[in-house]
Amino acid sequence: MKILIIEDEIELLIGVSNYLTKENYICELADTFQNAETKLSVYEYDIILMDITLPDGNGLELLKTIKNHNIKAGVIIISAKNSTDDKIQGLDLGADDYITKPFQLSELNSRIKAVIRRRHFDGNNTLVFNEIVINTDSKSIAVNGAEITFTKKEYDLLLFFFINRNRVMTKEALAEHLWDDNIDLADNFDFIYTHLNNIRKKIKLAGGTDYIKTIYGMGYKFTEQ
Amino acid sequence: MRFLTKINRNYLLLLTITLLIATVSAYFILQLILQDNAKEKLFEKEVLIKNQIYRTGEVPNIYPIVEVKREIQKINQKPIFKEIHINNTTEDEFEVFLEYSNQIKVRDAYYSIKLRQSSFESEDIELILTGAISILLLTAFGISFLVSKKINKTVWADFEKNLLAIEKFSFVSGRRLYLVDSDIEEFDRLNLVVEQLTDKLNADYLSLKEFSENASHEIQTPLSIVLLNLDEILQQDLPKETFEKVVASINALKRLSTLNQSLILLTKIENRQFVADKVISISDLAKSKLTEFVSLFEAKNITVELNLETDFSIKMNEELAEILINNLLSNAIKHNEDNGKIQLSIRKNEFRICNSGKPNSLTNETIFSRFTKGDSKSYGLGLAIVRNICETNKLEIHYANDELHCFTITPKLKN
Repeated sequence: MKILIIEDEIELLIGVSNYLTKENYICELADTFQNAETKLSVYEYDIILMDITLPDGNGLELLKTIKNHNIKAGVIIISAKNSTDDKIQGLDLGADDYITKPFQLSELNSRIKAVIRRRHFDGNNTLVFNEIVINTDSKSIAVNGAEITFTKKEYDLLLFFFINRNRVMTKEALAEHLWDDNIDLADNFDFIYTHLNNIRKKIKLAGGTDYIKTIYGMGYKFTEQ
Repeated sequence: MRFLTKINRNYLLLLTITLLIATVSAYFILQLILQDNAKEKLFEKEVLIKNQIYRTGEVPNIYPIVEVKREIQKINQKPIFKEIHINNTTEDEFEVFLEYSNQIKVRDAYYSIKLRQSSFESEDIELILTGAISILLLTAFGISFLVSKKINKTVWADFEKNLLAIEKFSFVSGRRLYLVDSDIEEFDRLNLVVEQLTDKLNADYLSLKEFSENASHEIQTPLSIVLLNLDEILQQDLPKETFEKVVASINALKRLSTLNQSLILLTKIENRQFVADKVISISDLAKSKLTEFVSLFEAKNITVELNLETDFSIKMNEELAEILINNLLSNAIKHNEDNGKIQLSIRKNEFRICNSGKPNSLTNETIFSRFTKGDSKSYGLGLAIVRNICETNKLEIHYANDELHCFTITPKLKN
């Protein structure tokens, strides 16, 4: 998977690129509107991560160029503005998703994967981890070949773990993934325990292994070790 | 009072007063002139009578207009005029006469004479003339009144149009204010001033709007960098103490970001940057939010009751309506106790949300203020946002704390 990251803040650009490279994506970087435009006219990308506020141009204009040239990349807008107007405008112009700063890398990865799935870039609708198989088309989960019923939130949470394997995530990050930006959760994170316990119970009941490790009671990691 | 009504009213008042004064003074002036005239005539008659007595010795007597009497001796009488009433026998009514009495001396004989002239005739003339004058004046005034009214209407038409444009003007629309040019200098000057003023305000408004958005951007970007780095540190094999510190930092950072976004949201609501363009059914919205919040209720084992009588619809911005309900529900969960309850009731023109929870010292006056916190973990902005949304959407919110903590939203009564 080839990704173009357009972001004028160099530290953020490098941080995101380092992380995505570790996740086995091939990253190309552009820190200005001009650079981005040049890269887009020469190379092809699967995913474009784009900050719409660039010093030398508006990212939304770039979006128009992308759609006019019929570039088949999936576009995720990165914006500091948690503004519905911008979101709607961006999505109307053909962006696939919109993520608000500050975001966590696990969340970004989950959004990228969702775009890849939606666009069927990898031609594969199943995610496999040992005995657990997630079918992203039918949104179903099977353990040892037997399908298990999960609620929507449980499914979302397990998929999030699948995508961010071996990554430590705080319970707040998990909670935020499940909830709308507009909801002020404050200290209402306890519901995550219930979801986690349900997932563990269901997998164990089907003879699976509990891969969700608790780290110091504050973080979680989906891992084989 | 409308300008034209005021002008017309003043005009009519002025007209009445002028007409009254003009008529009354015309009457008195005419009376004076006619009386002078009558006196002169009586003097002339006196001279004629004197001449007749001198030439013929005959004493003329025509009652009631000439009365001459020979006197034996001189009596000291000065010429006087007075008004007297004499009974007219033919018509059996009193008539007013101007009487001139004097003593004259002709060929060493003394005569007292009384000459009278009916005022009746001159009074008629006075009335007719006064009437004619007032009718003339009235017609002139009336015509000028109608003409000026018509002119006023056309002259003020552009002004009215501009006034309507200013009334309807909103900075949120992003359009410039255009006023119609009339060929009246004062109005055009006013238009120019208003247009310059709104352009200036518009520019200020835009720069303020831009500032709050840019401020958000500028703050969120460094926050992203910090978060990204902390997130990466979290992935290393950390001792418990360090791990806890990193998680605490991440959470504090997120609070800062949420706080920043909440303040920007408040500013945007206060600047009325959200357009009320949709009729929102509160019952539909509440129902969908309740399903969304189910896992949050379950975590605290909160029982939720929804009491739906009649739907309550509000014309407002959809995003704001969602934030309104989200914040109220979040608040009801946050300050609730385990195994507590939340009651929602929707009826015509009323939405009420009640929750169980520990008693607090907050009142309707203090609970909605910014940074007023029930506990240290909240930001103290959720309910401030709720109140601002209500205020900008002609809604009223009231908090009461009896057995349950209740928030009631009703449409604002028009003043």
